[in-house]
Amino acid sequence: MRVALERLTKRFGTVTAVQELDLEVRSGEFVALLGPSGCGKTTTLLMIAGIYRPTTGTIVFGDRRVDHLHPKERGIGMVFQSYALYPHMTVSENIAFPLELQRAVTRPDREARVREAAAKVQVDELLDRRPAQLSGGQQQRVALARALVKRPDILLLDEPLSNLDARLRHDMRGEIKRLQKEVGITSIFVTHDQLEALSMADRVAVMRDGRLQAYATPDELYAHPVNRFVAGFIGSPPMNFIPADLAARNGDLVARAQDIELPLPPAQRPRGNAAGATVGVRPEHIAIVAPGEGQAAGEVYVVEPVGREQIVDVQVGGRVLRVVAPPGYGGKIGDRIGLRFAPERLHLFDPQSGDRLA
Amino acid sequence: MAAVVGERAPSTNRWLAALPYVVLALATLPILVLYVWLFYSSFFPRVEGFRPVGDFTFDNWRFLWDPLSVPQMRNRPPIVPLTFNTFIFAAMTSAIGLLVSSMAGYAFSRLRFPGRRMFLGSVLLLHSFPSVTLLIALFVVLRALGLYDKLVGVILVQTAFALPFGIWIMKGFFDNIPWDLEMSALVDGAGRFRTWWRIMLPLVKPGLLALAVLLFVEGWNQFLLPFVFMPSGSQQTLSTLVKGILGEGRFVDYGLLTAVGLYYIAPVLILFVLAQDQLMRIYAGGVKG
Repeated sequence: MRVALERLTKRFGTVTAVQELDLEVRSGEFVALLGPSGCGKTTTLLMIAGIYRPTTGTIVFGDRRVDHLHPKERGIGMVFQSYALYPHMTVSENIAFPLELQRAVTRPDREARVREAAAKVQVDELLDRRPAQLSGGQQQRVALARALVKRPDILLLDEPLSNLDARLRHDMRGEIKRLQKEVGITSIFVTHDQLEALSMADRVAVMRDGRLQAYATPDELYAHPVNRFVAGFIGSPPMNFIPADLAARNGDLVARAQDIELPLPPAQRPRGNAAGATVGVRPEHIAIVAPGEGQAAGEVYVVEPVGREQIVDVQVGGRVLRVVAPPGYGGKIGDRIGLRFAPERLHLFDPQSGDRLA
Repeated sequence: MAAVVGERAPSTNRWLAALPYVVLALATLPILVLYVWLFYSSFFPRVEGFRPVGDFTFDNWRFLWDPLSVPQMRNRPPIVPLTFNTFIFAAMTSAIGLLVSSMAGYAFSRLRFPGRRMFLGSVLLLHSFPSVTLLIALFVVLRALGLYDKLVGVILVQTAFALPFGIWIMKGFFDNIPWDLEMSALVDGAGRFRTWWRIMLPLVKPGLLALAVLLFVEGWNQFLLPFVFMPSGSQQTLSTLVKGILGEGRFVDYGLLTAVGLYYIAPVLILFVLAQDQLMRIYAGGVKG
């Protein structure tokens, strides 16, 4: 079922948590609300759930306006960050609870559906346990089963993975994504972890200070961030930003900072005639080359091997640029090196507004 | 802490470690003596100071099986209906108090409504109100409602006095339940009332049990209200009987008094022993404002 938020605003007293949010989620789509803490993403989710009432704006499910409806009338299932399993009920009672409230579901039918939902998330062996006897991952699965058992139109997940350890988080990431596609349910999840958002969602809505910054596919967000905030928030390690002057040289446009000179290919040239720009370049788009080669010279500041690759901080002039080097790279602290920037991978942002120039 | 210190230097600090116990034991002694005295004087014909006089006897307990042979009991309601009244009184105040406290406590903990803070404050104020000052007004109100000299009337008054404490205790317990659980119940399709009944109440069960015991004991021990508002005697409680025996005029039969007194406090003592764990939790559970 399609979900549409129109000019959705939520104020708590004088604080505006969400401001004029427009967002459309297509039927069957998996969308992430991504942003730093306090950006309004959870408030948005709770408004969709019906826990918070929007100050202004509308929420539409399908063709039905729902922003005045109680949570129970909205046909949603939700997984909470804490999982919110009812501690005094067994796993099967937890999963059955939403059905218990639906008169149309008879008792034998209810039992069958509880078993079916439990099997889908592989907790059918645990039905008689209590939440306190489950591991974090198992609790998460039970919470998913409980959210899905009444076959809701929309599934909401609030930071679903943040209470799991790193290993489990990775497993559940894949599993939730698979489950979502299997069930085909329109789903919205909230996260502060860009990796989670990129790896799981069909589209990601990046929020900051209650406003929507960008809403696009993970690829698009990564390749063409619309502003400096999105560029810095998406990707790990984060993008390098270099304040630079723009100048013409031999008919070419170059971005010039101290010790760095970057020719801009035609596609990367800003519209209009800006005199300065913040140049963004991702660590994986800078290569370490022999001293004297490339567009900048620098000195290795520190090398951090992270297994698959190495993250190298390079001192260039007065600043440190972060570079991703292949595993075989054997640089030492203090080595003199050159840096080669991939010209087609440069991003130019307005130094004041942070908007994308090219 | 004392034990840890003691392990390190046993010779000097063992005495220091024992010191608090000695002090506390000395302070507790008078109370202990009180109970021991109460206990053994009920089994002897007479006690002079702390010294029992005569032979061990169950004579003082005659009121249980042969009340007519006890002069002080002759013109009073029999002991069994009195006990029953006391039980009804305590149980009803406990039950009504529990119901109202758990609902009001939930509302104060979870709902935002106009005047919430004022209500909370005034509930506390009521808690610190000495009930004696309200006796006359209560008398007038009970008379007007036709509840004077009736057990029901006293039950309502006692419950009202117990509510402030109960509401604050229950509010504290509800405050400790994460919001997520409640939101989850709402999303799962429960209304507010069902959420309270199916999710919240089971989670505050330790609080409910402890409060039930405390309210019951408070009702059981209550003397002033039954004494003042049920003068005719047919619906009296045990506390008024004890007072009656004590105030029988020139000569008080201490043997009988202690036996009846012991009979009166026995259920409370048993209840406390049984419910000890629950009662501890009311304070361990933390009461937040």
